[in-house]
Amino acid sequence: MIELIRVSKQYDRRPALSNVTLEIEKGEFVLLMGASGAGKSTLLRMLIGAERPDDGQVFVYGKNVTALKQGDIPYLRRKVGTVFQDFRLLAKKTVFDNVALPLLVQGISAQDIRRKVTEALRAVGVEHKRDQLPMVLSTGEQQRVCIARAIVNGPVVLLADEPTGNLDPGLTAEIIELFKLINARGTTVVVATHDPQVMTQVNRRVITLSHGTLTPEKWVPA
Amino acid sequence: MRTLYYLLREAWVNLRTNRTTTMVAILTTAFTLACVGVFLLLYVNLRAAAGWLQDDIKIIVYLDDHLSSDARADLEQQLRGDHAVAAIHFVSKEQALGEFKDQFPSESHLLEGLGQNPLPASFVVTLGPAFRSLDAVKRWSERVQGMTGVAKVDYNQDWIDALAMVIRSIELVAIGIGVILSAAAVTIIANTIRLTLLARRDEIAILRLIGATTGFIRIPYLLEGAVLGGLGSAISLFMLKLLYELFRREMRTSGKLSGLDNLLAFFPMPLCLALIVVGMALGCAGSFVSLRRFDEAKA
Repeated sequence: MIELIRVSKQYDRRPALSNVTLEIEKGEFVLLMGASGAGKSTLLRMLIGAERPDDGQVFVYGKNVTALKQGDIPYLRRKVGTVFQDFRLLAKKTVFDNVALPLLVQGISAQDIRRKVTEALRAVGVEHKRDQLPMVLSTGEQQRVCIARAIVNGPVVLLADEPTGNLDPGLTAEIIELFKLINARGTTVVVATHDPQVMTQVNRRVITLSHGTLTPEKWVPA
Repeated sequence: MRTLYYLLREAWVNLRTNRTTTMVAILTTAFTLACVGVFLLLYVNLRAAAGWLQDDIKIIVYLDDHLSSDARADLEQQLRGDHAVAAIHFVSKEQALGEFKDQFPSESHLLEGLGQNPLPASFVVTLGPAFRSLDAVKRWSERVQGMTGVAKVDYNQDWIDALAMVIRSIELVAIGIGVILSAAAVTIIANTIRLTLLARRDEIAILRLIGATTGFIRIPYLLEGAVLGGLGSAISLFMLKLLYELFRREMRTSGKLSGLDNLLAFFPMPLCLALIVVGMALGCAGSFVSLRRFDEAKA
């Protein structure tokens, strides 16, 4: 599903990723651990074509992301859901409209949009907030809306960059449970975090980055 | 359908986001395009005037004084047979003298002093509509000049050449000013769109991350540019029409050039619509410039 082959990236001659090789199978739930600046975000951004490696190759869902033309990147991103630490919701649009956005850009019919958005909101437990603006929601609810937007397309991969960074331990546990549910439906989930508490809650494969290089993997069976 | 509604709504939101800037951009574009419009209006009217003069053009073919009546009849036959000739009218030496006396009664004694009529007989020729361009008249005159029995071919060449030169000059000035001011309109609109892009850069970043194509992201901004340019162009036409009517009224009331009043014309409706479309195209160009710069800055 995801494969990185000897990937390196530098910013101003500082290595962000050094010779990283890894493979993530379809349906896996993987934690990408590491301190701030370890290269987690860079790696996730490479998976959606937002960054290009200086060396090496990145494959997602059989596509060589490094060789994709700029015009093909949006079509890759439609197969990959993304969740952000700062939610990145549109403040002037309702919850429904925020979640509908990935469907709108694909020209999906209004009827299908209504159905899929309702399903996604129900799956994350904020269906009753559909007509509210994001600003009036709690941080936990905002993150749920962000997750709903990421899964509304039925993506093959869900990437989450520090999804619990702004949440308290209780909400963190709820969000992790939500990711587990999404993963149980067959979606490959990759969660980047620096929070060791998340690792204890997930109990799955852990890939650790340190100064841009991989350290030996831990594997905690579910 | 929902996507189309979304794109139109986004364009409308963009216009409302920077209301003051939008208004300033529309008005500045309107004034800029109105300046171009003044020259265009002048050009259109002078072209029309040139057209009337060409329609009215009469070519006088002066005959040799010693031309026999048979030779004159042959020449008339040849001219009547010419496919370019629409009408022909013979003016004898006596008629020419009579016309001269009618037109210049105080000077008629000058000719009487000569003892004989010095004015030549002539054919007054009107060419067909397809042969009334300046070049066609010139070519026809040169051809007839070489015919036996023709002393001279005359038409208001100097006057028409001068008018043609004025029209060409105004055409060049209109093109020059049009290009410069159109570029100014594009810049004004580009800066307005840039402000909108900056205000909505986070939203654009999100759209990119969720798989929106470049075209999907650009459409609302191109529509916004088209609306700015189209409205600017429509307002400029309104201002021009107002100025045009004021000018005509001034001509009528002051009595100066009152004869020209009815000859003046505003842009016909198809040209007005074409100018609005041009305004929209300039607006789209402005948006495109800003979008390209915005994309390059993000790359």
